[in-house]
Amino acid sequence: MTYYLVIFAAGFAGSFHCIGMCGGFACGLGRDQRGGGATVARHLLYNTGRLTTYCFLGGLAGALGQVICTTQGSMATPLLNGSLDIAQRILAIVAGLLMIGMALQFFGLLQVFHRLALGFGGSTFAMSLRSLLTARSSAAPLAFGVFNGFLPCPLVYAFAAQAASTAGAVPGFLVMASFGLGTFPAMLMVGGVGRILGPAWRRRGVRLAGGFILLLGLITLGRGLLPSDAHIGHAWLGGLPA
Amino acid sequence: MERRLNGEACAFCCYGCCIAFQVKIGRHEEWEAAWLLIQLGVGGFLSMNIMMFSLLLYSDAFIGVDAGVLPWVHLLLWIFATPAVVMLGGPYLREMWLNGIQGRVTSSALIVLGVAAAYLYSAFAVFEGSTHVYFDTAVMVLMLFTVGRYLEAVGRARAARDLEPLLAAESEGATVVDGAAEIRRPVREVSAGMLVRVRPGERIPVDGVVVEGESNTDEAVITGESRQVTKGAGSKVIAGSINIDGPLLIQSSGDGTATRWARICRSVREALGRRSPTQRLADRVVGVSVPLVLALGGLTIVYWAQSLPFDRALLIGLSVLVVACPCAVGLAAPMATSLGIGRLARHGCLVRDPGVLETLARVRLLAFDKTGTLTAGKARLVGVDCEEVCIDEVLARAAGLERLSEHGLGWAIAAAAAQRGITPLVTRDVRTVPGRGIRGSAEGRPVAAGNGRLMNDLGWPLPPSLTERARSLEASGHSVVYVGWGEQVHALLSLDDSPLPEAQAAIADLRERGLDSTLLTGDLAQAAERIAALVGIKDVQAGLSPEAKRLALDRLRHDYGSVAMVGDGLNDGPVLAAADVGIAVGSATDLARETAALVLPADGLWMLPWIVDVARAVRRTILTNLMWAFGYNLVALTFAAFGLLQPILAAAVMAGSSILVVVNSLRLERLPDPVPALIPEQRSGAEVERARHTVGASVMAGSAVERS
Repeated sequence: MTYYLVIFAAGFAGSFHCIGMCGGFACGLGRDQRGGGATVARHLLYNTGRLTTYCFLGGLAGALGQVICTTQGSMATPLLNGSLDIAQRILAIVAGLLMIGMALQFFGLLQVFHRLALGFGGSTFAMSLRSLLTARSSAAPLAFGVFNGFLPCPLVYAFAAQAASTAGAVPGFLVMASFGLGTFPAMLMVGGVGRILGPAWRRRGVRLAGGFILLLGLITLGRGLLPSDAHIGHAWLGGLPA
Repeated sequence: MERRLNGEACAFCCYGCCIAFQVKIGRHEEWEAAWLLIQLGVGGFLSMNIMMFSLLLYSDAFIGVDAGVLPWVHLLLWIFATPAVVMLGGPYLREMWLNGIQGRVTSSALIVLGVAAAYLYSAFAVFEGSTHVYFDTAVMVLMLFTVGRYLEAVGRARAARDLEPLLAAESEGATVVDGAAEIRRPVREVSAGMLVRVRPGERIPVDGVVVEGESNTDEAVITGESRQVTKGAGSKVIAGSINIDGPLLIQSSGDGTATRWARICRSVREALGRRSPTQRLADRVVGVSVPLVLALGGLTIVYWAQSLPFDRALLIGLSVLVVACPCAVGLAAPMATSLGIGRLARHGCLVRDPGVLETLARVRLLAFDKTGTLTAGKARLVGVDCEEVCIDEVLARAAGLERLSEHGLGWAIAAAAAQRGITPLVTRDVRTVPGRGIRGSAEGRPVAAGNGRLMNDLGWPLPPSLTERARSLEASGHSVVYVGWGEQVHALLSLDDSPLPEAQAAIADLRERGLDSTLLTGDLAQAAERIAALVGIKDVQAGLSPEAKRLALDRLRHDYGSVAMVGDGLNDGPVLAAADVGIAVGSATDLARETAALVLPADGLWMLPWIVDVARAVRRTILTNLMWAFGYNLVALTFAAFGLLQPILAAAVMAGSSILVVVNSLRLERLPDPVPALIPEQRSGAEVERARHTVGASVMAGSAVERS
């Protein structure tokens, strides 16, 4: 449980980055003419759409991790006895390094991930989403949220990597659900429901998010590198449910 | 990261921010696209939830789960799946129904039957308490096909992007100025004499004359030349050209529906609506294959049901239906063709029949008409030979007669005299002698200009030195006009129709592409051979009537297979219609335009090699698309029938196949723009050079004889 709370907190801290990035969308959706209740509903729908996509990606990444580990385990004789087999360790190392890289980027130290995202062809996507922002249908914010969830974003990559390292559809789903729920308050706040934070606070938030991601990355890396007896992830965070 | 948007460098923290910015600043609003996206988004929401619950079901977390929980998860899946199937499957069901009542079975039937089987079986299982449900298959198949179709639509929109502004501006209308009021009216309601206001950036809706304002205009869509032409008060403007940088007030010179641009728009719309032979073939294949696939799907289920549980057999049958959906086959030809048509239209080349591009790519011989196609179609005075008189006197007398003439040669003589600043001699009692020339009297003496027979009729002798010269000029294909007065022939005027400056380069470029050229003309053999030699054509057939041209074309077709005919004249109509590809070029007459399948803009001869390149690229793209689509369908169908392909995977790869066809076709956008062998500035320079040379030659020829 503690593990998911840490992810929730990381999502919450990371949402200060979201304000800068996806906050534009939330502002674009704006207030509903029919009043406060309708505005809250509109933004809840948008965020639910986003959350669904995150959960889907988490479940998928987890299942993929599971497939990798199962295939590896069935093909090769396990070199290590214990709760983690070699494939899961490799997965944890890769995910951990990826998260540490993302964290460094949040501190402004490593810009390679931005460049990686650059290759993604998205202008068509952007053109399409534009028409959704102006649509009046109540289902539009939900649809918009679903698509928004797929936008290339370092935070989502980081937690998708974390989800993959759990090597299970259910824990993967829960990782991304916790992360997504963590981003809810800030996103609701900027979406016409509350007030927008100033740039200084956003910078602090982004650093905090970087700290959380670094911590999670180190734990994940540790899961891959350290002997299972000395496993800090299990000892400190109560282990994974898988 | 930095990106250039609307010409400005913008800094973003990541790619997501960049997209967010593009979305926010965009003004693009299309309700239909939004509605499709809403469907996709909500469908995505439902199907992702279904996938997640299904993943949970598949996951080891649920192994050994209390059997009492499973029915509730199944029920939840049913609750999510039902609206998703209704919403995403509705369009396919409607399509199947509409085709069905016309007696056609199309690919939508495959999708509907496959999905309906999976959904109904699973719904039945939920209420029966069975352990296996396939809602994820039913919904994801629909979702993937819908995403595939959406991406196809985006691809098609890009294909039509070249045509969209053209066609949209026509339907948008014109701002008619009526006193102080400015009223927006459809272009078809604009008639001659009306004042029309055109703002910078707008397309000029009607042909007319500028009354007020000055601006640069781009006439590429009409003339094919992308160069800016400055227009001020009194300048003529052409409908379809774009007003670039200043407001213009135009007086319409005709009906809004009668402009060349309106005709282009109509033809392009018609061409896009028609289907090329390959498209028709693909349609027929699809029409035949769908019932076959349905039968194969049924057989697969029956076969596998004997060795596997029914739900497994059903799933294999479903894979067969899904994977055999011939979406990519149906998309292969139209996608590439419409991109090709759009590409040509942007440069003013009008395709009237979509099949023409595929045929042109196969053509190995182009037959050219001479006058007006390879040449400007206007005679020019190129030499004056005279005996004991000066050139100016000859031209003054000839022009005195010819300025009243209606003959093309007469105009050329009068024009040449005017160009040299010679005042035509006052001539009375002028009358034309049909088939011979023109005669009258000046300064009390009879004067005549015409052919040798006119001089024979008049009994005017030709000096021996000029007799020899006349023979050699006629042998070299020149038109010769004898000028005489005082009962004697005093001079010979030689005229000819020079080849267009771009003709030689165009023929050479075509030869480089492996295309032979031939000249089919009604003109005299010598004149035809002279022009052919100048432009680089070896094979010439001259003195042909329109009917004989058609027969000659049939013979060429026998030798070469497909033959394209390039012409402009009234008499080219039948032969343009008879050719495999009729190409009207230059200031083509309406008949030539009506019968040609491809119409080039005025002075568009230089674009021919580029058009051949585009046609070949289109054909290549269609062939690779079809090979991929058919090959993929066959291989995937085999895998599916043997139970080696999951339905979701089949749908994913099927959608991917369509996207591949779209992406392959979009490569046509990367083809280079046409590069004139002579760019317009150079061309106008070459024309000046040629005119100087023409006048110089006449003076030199005249002086040489004078001295003798």
